[in-house]
Amino acid sequence: MSLTLRNALIALGVTIALIATVAYAVQYLNQQRVADLTAIEDQISIDTLSLDTQFSLLEAAPCANAASSTDLTGALADLGDRLAYAEGQLGSENAQVLRLKEQYSLLEIRDYLVTKQLAAACGTHPVTVLYFYSNAGDCADCAKAGYALSYLRDTYPKLRVYSFDYNLSLGALSTLISLDHVQNTLPAFVINGKASYGFTDLATLEKQFPKGSLATTTAAK
Amino acid sequence: MGTALIVYPFLFLALFFESFILVTLLSKPARATRARKPATNDDALPAVAVIVPCWNEGETLVATTESVLALDYPALKLEVVLVDNASTDDTPRIMERYRENPRVRLVHESKQGKHHAVNAGIAATSAEFIGCLDADSFVAPDALREAIVSFDDPRVAATTAAMSVHAPDTILRHMQNAEYIFGIILRHALATVNGIHVTPGPFSLYRRSVVDALGGFQFGYQTEDMEMALRLQRAGYRIDSAPRARVYTKAPATLPKLVKQRVRWTSGFLRNVLGEYRGLVGRRQYGALGIIVLPLGFLAIASGLLLTGLAVVRMWDMISTAIAVRSGIPFSYAWVPPVSHFDWFYLPGTFFVGLGVATLIISVGMIIAGKRLSKTPGSLGLGIVSYAFLYGLVAPLWLAQSAFDVTFGKKRGWR
Repeated sequence: MSLTLRNALIALGVTIALIATVAYAVQYLNQQRVADLTAIEDQISIDTLSLDTQFSLLEAAPCANAASSTDLTGALADLGDRLAYAEGQLGSENAQVLRLKEQYSLLEIRDYLVTKQLAAACGTHPVTVLYFYSNAGDCADCAKAGYALSYLRDTYPKLRVYSFDYNLSLGALSTLISLDHVQNTLPAFVINGKASYGFTDLATLEKQFPKGSLATTTAAK
Repeated sequence: MGTALIVYPFLFLALFFESFILVTLLSKPARATRARKPATNDDALPAVAVIVPCWNEGETLVATTESVLALDYPALKLEVVLVDNASTDDTPRIMERYRENPRVRLVHESKQGKHHAVNAGIAATSAEFIGCLDADSFVAPDALREAIVSFDDPRVAATTAAMSVHAPDTILRHMQNAEYIFGIILRHALATVNGIHVTPGPFSLYRRSVVDALGGFQFGYQTEDMEMALRLQRAGYRIDSAPRARVYTKAPATLPKLVKQRVRWTSGFLRNVLGEYRGLVGRRQYGALGIIVLPLGFLAIASGLLLTGLAVVRMWDMISTAIAVRSGIPFSYAWVPPVSHFDWFYLPGTFFVGLGVATLIISVGMIIAGKRLSKTPGSLGLGIVSYAFLYGLVAPLWLAQSAFDVTFGKKRGWR
């Protein structure tokens, strides 16, 4: 066997080993990402359940928990960002991503319900936005709408934005969609219970909010 | 997924080539080359003539000539042949300074072309070995003793030196310096499997009897060094490399000059290999040169163009999407990056990025190894950084222009 052929065969083996190592490293990194997401979800799940339980226990004076509910919403937003990034890395068909999205959606619905309960009990007037999008390539304006909502959420921390993948197969989400009569015309928004569809620009979206609601919240910037 | 199917085969081949180089570097013949000592027995040293073809080289000619005269080699066995190739600057006048020097021959060749100049230089000497040195290059004092031992193997017809950039002073020159030093390790490895396809102008040495037998230098589309190397390979000779025979060359300082130089090299490669030397490509009898080096040379050009095209399309897509998504959002939010701390979670850990990083790490490792092996002085930090981040942006310029020139038969001047 010539030196060239021998070296080429060894190099082929080295190349395959290198590629396998890279594949393993990428897989490991993604697994760590999923593990990180799972840990965050577990923590939020515990916090939500705790808040919910406290709310039930302290029916006479539940309003002291309003602050911690706001903290939870911020943690949920961070989790949503991470989940969206992981979805971009792993693919929207990835089984782990789907499972995490389902859990995330459940947490969002739970937080949404707690927020409504607190509002009713404490007489507050939070502005909540249910935002329905699709990653199936059938929503040309969803990226723009998502970014505009991120801007509003970051600018007005007390604004509660809950994002849902309309196509996610989840019983609680289907119930939420049917209760709010959300049609499959995306992007769709339910702002304080009132549904609207489509996105043109930020200014038009802002007009959908109750008059003065954005101005009365505390601006972050 | 479609893009990945196009990109991954090229990344695989890049990794394979780097692995082949690494494996070859570790092989016994390569280790033997590295263990080789420079020639020390003056009595056994052969006569060498260093030919310096000059076309308007008045600016650097003296420094080049002085570096040859300063070579640590028996004076009676070394001569310099300065060949003026119809210069229009003060080159002939500067050459006259050496008129009385017994170790320097002055030749005037009116027919323009590097091959004419080198042949005229060869005709003016009877030395057993011929060195060619571009007039903008300077040899280290021990370079000839390091290089001449290559010819201890009677099958060797030529040997190449360890090139680096003379006094790199700009980002562009630092980038070229890293690239040249990368070339030292590549040629060292490829010489082990006789896969060298070019004997560069800065200080390649030739066995004169072989050059004469093959008919001397010929026109080679402004890459006469490459044409000669391919002809030597086709005739069954070996081309060696002397990784410690240092030579410093002046590199283009501006992007237009660099592009012009590289268009000459790349189009010369395409014209030579697609033309007279097509028979070497893919032929097992030419070993690593035929099976690996020349085919991958074509693939490197093709992949450079293709990947650049894909990157431009992708970049355009990303930018237009970013603009569309951010339209109507206040500038301070949309376009000013937020102050944030490092978060490993957002590391772009895709398979594509992983393979790219692996390829880059191996390249950087080989550049460092090339510097250590050749004992090239100077710092490499800026060179490696600029090579890693700049080379991929500028190389497509000459790849595209070369492909255009060869496709449409366009010819360009030397400078």
